[in-house]
Amino acid sequence: MNWLPFGAPLAMLLAAVVAGTGRSRIVEGLVLTALACALATAVLLVVAGAATTPLLGLAGIGLSARRDIVSATLLLLIGFVGWIVVRFTSTYLDREPRADRFMADLCLTLGGVMTMVIAGNLVQLVAAWIATSLTLHRLLLFYPERRAAQRAARKKFITARVGDVALIAAALILAHACGTTDIASILAAARAGAIPSAGAAAACLIAVAAMLKSAQFPLHGWLTEVMEAPTPVSALLHAGVINAGGFILIRFADVMLLSPAALALLTLVGGFTALFGGLVMLTQPAVKTSLAWSTVAQMGFMTMECGLGLFPLALLHLVAHSLYKAHSFLAAGSAVERIVAARRPGPVAVPSAGAVGRAFAVAIGLYAAIGAAFGISSAPPQAIVLGAILIFGVAYLIAQGLAEAAPRALTRRLVVASGAASLGYFLLHALATRLTADVLPVPPSPSSLDWALMILATLSFGSVAVAQALFPLWSGHPAVAVLRVHLSNGLYANAVLDRLLGGWRRPVSAEFGR
Amino acid sequence: MSVVRAAAAAAVAAIPPLWPLAATVAVNPFLGHANEPLALTAARLERAAGVQITPDPASIAEQFASGRITDADLASALAAAPPDQRPVDVDALKLAATATAAPRATPTFADLAADATGRDWPAIIDERFGAWAGAFFDAGQALWAAPHDRAWTAWRATATHDLTPEVLGLRGFAAFVAASPETIDAMLARGVATLGLPDEAVEQYFHRLLVTLGGWVQVARQRQWTAALSGGDNDLPLALLAIRLLWDEALFVLQGDGPTAWPAAVAEFARPVRATLATVAAAIVQDAADRAAQRRLAAILSAPASGAMTPEPRIQAAFCIDVRSEVFRRALEAVDPSLQTLGFAGFFGLGIAHRRTASDVVEARLPVLLTAGFATRAVVPAAVDVDARLSARASRAWDRFKLAAVSSFAFVEATGPAYVVKLLRDTLAIGHATSAEPPPLAEPPLSLDRRVAAAEAVLQAMSLTRDFAPLVLLVGHGARVTNNPHASALHCGACGGYPGDVNARLLASLLNDLEVRGGLAQRGIDVPASTHVIAGLHDTTSDTVTLYADDAPSPAHEKLLADAHRSLTNAGERARAERVRRLPRGAGSPLARRGRDWAEVRPEWGLAGCNAFIVAPRARTRGRDLGGRAFLHDYAWRDDAGFGVLELILTAPVVVASWISLQYYGSSVAPDLFGGGNKLLHNVIGGIGVVEGNGGTLRNGLPWQSVHDGRALVHEPLRLTVAVEAPRDAIAGVLARHGSVRQLFDNGWLHLLAMDDDGQLAWRYVEGSWEAFSATSAPIRTSEMFHAAA
Repeated sequence: MNWLPFGAPLAMLLAAVVAGTGRSRIVEGLVLTALACALATAVLLVVAGAATTPLLGLAGIGLSARRDIVSATLLLLIGFVGWIVVRFTSTYLDREPRADRFMADLCLTLGGVMTMVIAGNLVQLVAAWIATSLTLHRLLLFYPERRAAQRAARKKFITARVGDVALIAAALILAHACGTTDIASILAAARAGAIPSAGAAAACLIAVAAMLKSAQFPLHGWLTEVMEAPTPVSALLHAGVINAGGFILIRFADVMLLSPAALALLTLVGGFTALFGGLVMLTQPAVKTSLAWSTVAQMGFMTMECGLGLFPLALLHLVAHSLYKAHSFLAAGSAVERIVAARRPGPVAVPSAGAVGRAFAVAIGLYAAIGAAFGISSAPPQAIVLGAILIFGVAYLIAQGLAEAAPRALTRRLVVASGAASLGYFLLHALATRLTADVLPVPPSPSSLDWALMILATLSFGSVAVAQALFPLWSGHPAVAVLRVHLSNGLYANAVLDRLLGGWRRPVSAEFGR
Repeated sequence: MSVVRAAAAAAVAAIPPLWPLAATVAVNPFLGHANEPLALTAARLERAAGVQITPDPASIAEQFASGRITDADLASALAAAPPDQRPVDVDALKLAATATAAPRATPTFADLAADATGRDWPAIIDERFGAWAGAFFDAGQALWAAPHDRAWTAWRATATHDLTPEVLGLRGFAAFVAASPETIDAMLARGVATLGLPDEAVEQYFHRLLVTLGGWVQVARQRQWTAALSGGDNDLPLALLAIRLLWDEALFVLQGDGPTAWPAAVAEFARPVRATLATVAAAIVQDAADRAAQRRLAAILSAPASGAMTPEPRIQAAFCIDVRSEVFRRALEAVDPSLQTLGFAGFFGLGIAHRRTASDVVEARLPVLLTAGFATRAVVPAAVDVDARLSARASRAWDRFKLAAVSSFAFVEATGPAYVVKLLRDTLAIGHATSAEPPPLAEPPLSLDRRVAAAEAVLQAMSLTRDFAPLVLLVGHGARVTNNPHASALHCGACGGYPGDVNARLLASLLNDLEVRGGLAQRGIDVPASTHVIAGLHDTTSDTVTLYADDAPSPAHEKLLADAHRSLTNAGERARAERVRRLPRGAGSPLARRGRDWAEVRPEWGLAGCNAFIVAPRARTRGRDLGGRAFLHDYAWRDDAGFGVLELILTAPVVVASWISLQYYGSSVAPDLFGGGNKLLHNVIGGIGVVEGNGGTLRNGLPWQSVHDGRALVHEPLRLTVAVEAPRDAIAGVLARHGSVRQLFDNGWLHLLAMDDDGQLAWRYVEGSWEAFSATSAPIRTSEMFHAAA
């Protein structure tokens, strides 16, 4: 029974084989089988608790499945999103030349991610990590003649290989230090304090690999350019594959805690990427591009959560974001209708500075009230800070309701919606923390560096939130227009990378030489 | 006007307009070339865009081999061609038309700079221009919109600070922009001087540059078009030209010496465009293909018709002339011989500016050639409207919460898991029952005179002034599809890209109005008291018809209404059975639900395959299978004293149909230039259009999946044949008064045939005169027409 999780990637592998023959009904059946295996694994976890299978292989190299809340949750997520994407693809790519190959690569990629998330040992994890990236590469180049696709895929390829090196190095260090490739044993050793210096080194390397994988600044450019492949690839990438970075941080949470430096790096880079990506997203006129920047931002936020040691919340964020983003990409065709609909009820009521101030006061009151109900005073400071950051977001919703031009009935509705959002968010946090209590560590008590980072995060997210709420009041300033130009181009990080990698090069024609 | 300005205006005039996707209509991509024949336009666009605008030689060869185009078709087309450049005989023609030669555009300076430096400047310009234009034209995607300003000023403000070109190797670009002239005219003049373009080369060079801007400049043309309808002008297209010209100029100045090939390119731009042997041959073959289709049409019209109609119809149902109605009308008449159908432009003669429930947005529900004559809004109690507005505003605020910086994190963590439900719902296409909109109400109210005048004009134009049936249905159409950026392209073109329900309901309310009937009687149109009018909406994706019987309930007509419902249901089944054969996965995906599938890229074929427009009483076509390829407009010339209705038909619906037919033609033969691109890569930009992939050029026209089923074109690229049953003198009289319509026929963008008193194709219009139409050139299988492109 402990081998059950392998049923999922196995079914995907079979689906990939069948996909080559074009029988889409059977493919969907197999993908549903994978989803069923994922469900059964989750049930088994509830009934029988966490476990790792013995290693099927030699000298630490081989297959084994780890069953715990992290692997079961992600397996279920990938299984579900995978089914949705495969089902969508079979209609969407109907009659498209090479659709069979596309479907096969899609199933292989999904199988790769599944193999990675259930990995009980380092070798399987690293191998699946690399394999996933390679099959994804084929999907990104589904239209190989498209120059922009080549440009994005090349950037992705190079970034991914650097990440591979970091992860392999981390795995070698951990295996050497612990004398085993078994992940559960390594985590136990890390928790017991048996591998302080090797663990810290590995943590730094894992942090690097994760940041490269999840498109953190300044190597985010490839992610915002992979709309050059059919829509299901975007859905799969943004809802499945991109999670690999967050996954290794959460999987090796006990190891990560061994290096405060790695954590600080994650907090800094993640926090910056979250704000940067969020601001760039605001300026993007194309729907998929805007969604891609949103992913950059969300992955930044998740990375920051890991940096703060809030691994259960990072896991929640991965799951919630994947579901939201899969839907957003697949439904991107409705953008025309959505934008018309937004114009119909007339102009947006703009809140004044006073209304924004009141909105923040209400939001903080809401936070205090709901927080008290959930016993926030006993929560770690990191969680309190994160809660505050999120409540700044809710304040934006309240501010729209408190705008002077907004009718009272609208104010009421939005305040109720804000309350519901805050409640939902606290409930989910409580749930995530509780479900992962046995597997994921609690945040360390903050050092002075941690306090500095937390204050920095609170201030910067807070000021962006205030600026956002006051937006139309200051956007007319000429300096703001200039800032907008730089931000809408992602501060040129991507252009620089293109220049370095020769992304815009094309053969010189002898006929036209100077 | 300076030479440069005049050349710029002429180059802009060659660009067709593009309507935003919120409410888009088909546009003739050759609109700016209507004053010249296909062979010349083909040569012009080859030079300006590097595309061929006739079917590719391989498919031509296949049609020769299969006998779809016969030697007789070729011979007659050859004989009709102007003598100067035409091949000597049919064999020479075949040889010339099947020779492959890759079309090549004359290079811009950016093209040459790319060749010389190995850096892809045209692609960089596309990307940079698209990034700016996307934000400039954005109708509401970005929460942080670009500052509003006039295009040239706005672009300079952006490009002065954008460091991307510098990073990519064009040092000093931003400073170059900052130092550029403040007016468009000065910029155009300076650019021409810098690049060393002689006067004769300017227009063609400008045209070449505008073509590289794809849909962006076409949207600008649409703004200009709309401004012109109300007597204004808009220099937006010129501003975009200035921006593009500045890029070439900057490359010229900042990259040092020009490439050696530049003088040769300039010389080519200065040479007047002439039709080439290849384009002449291709145009003659296109004419032969059109003639072959006319031959098949003639056969259908002369074959015995099936099914008879009872002498006095109990129900009359008027549909849009749209080719999709042909299938449904044929099915409806087959299931109910006591039912008579009529064809009329789907806006039912009422140009309406409409506001729906809880909406400030005015929807122009009329052909884009016209301005609205009526203002309406949905009739709802004030409380309902307020409540609907509140819901819409709350949901908009929620969307902003979802998309704003910082708050998007809270949104994801608080509500992300709920997307399980959304994913399941959309994947399984559950729910989404849309409530019907309330009926429209004229606001301000119309005087009795206006109502009577409008009703009279419409009935006259419909050739429906007597013999009213007890129940008259006015059926507009729309397509219920989901997750489809091009949804409005499937709606009613005559209603400006909206469904036709509002127009049909307004006309029904006018015709049921007893005061109006009194006024009509005074003007000689007797609508019997026993006649009741009901509006409806034909969903062309599922072939179901919704009747708005509750707008004006009539207990006396309940039985008839029930009969109508039954007939419409049965006809829908029949029509679906016919359509399902042409659609991929038709059998596996019931048409009744197909439009609700969020992954479906081919919910229906729209007007693909359209190739004929028949202006005649329905009796001429009733019981004949036209395969969903013909526009059918009812017209009885004997009732048309003074031929005012004929004039209206030839100048309005025929022109609209020509836009549709030529859009399909352009999207099929030149998908790179006039096609909407690959749906699988579509990325909606600014809420107004789509780009492929990351960005770059805005696409126009129909997506590839809308004209191609993955194996073959479903739209056979033919020019529309307009067949009119009316005296030739009357037809010629209309053309004489409308030069812009006449040139469409004279230059072969449309064909014109006159029908005789037996409803047979009898005469062909050839540049102002008539010759006998002969369809006896080859043995014909009538089934060919329907299975042709399927």
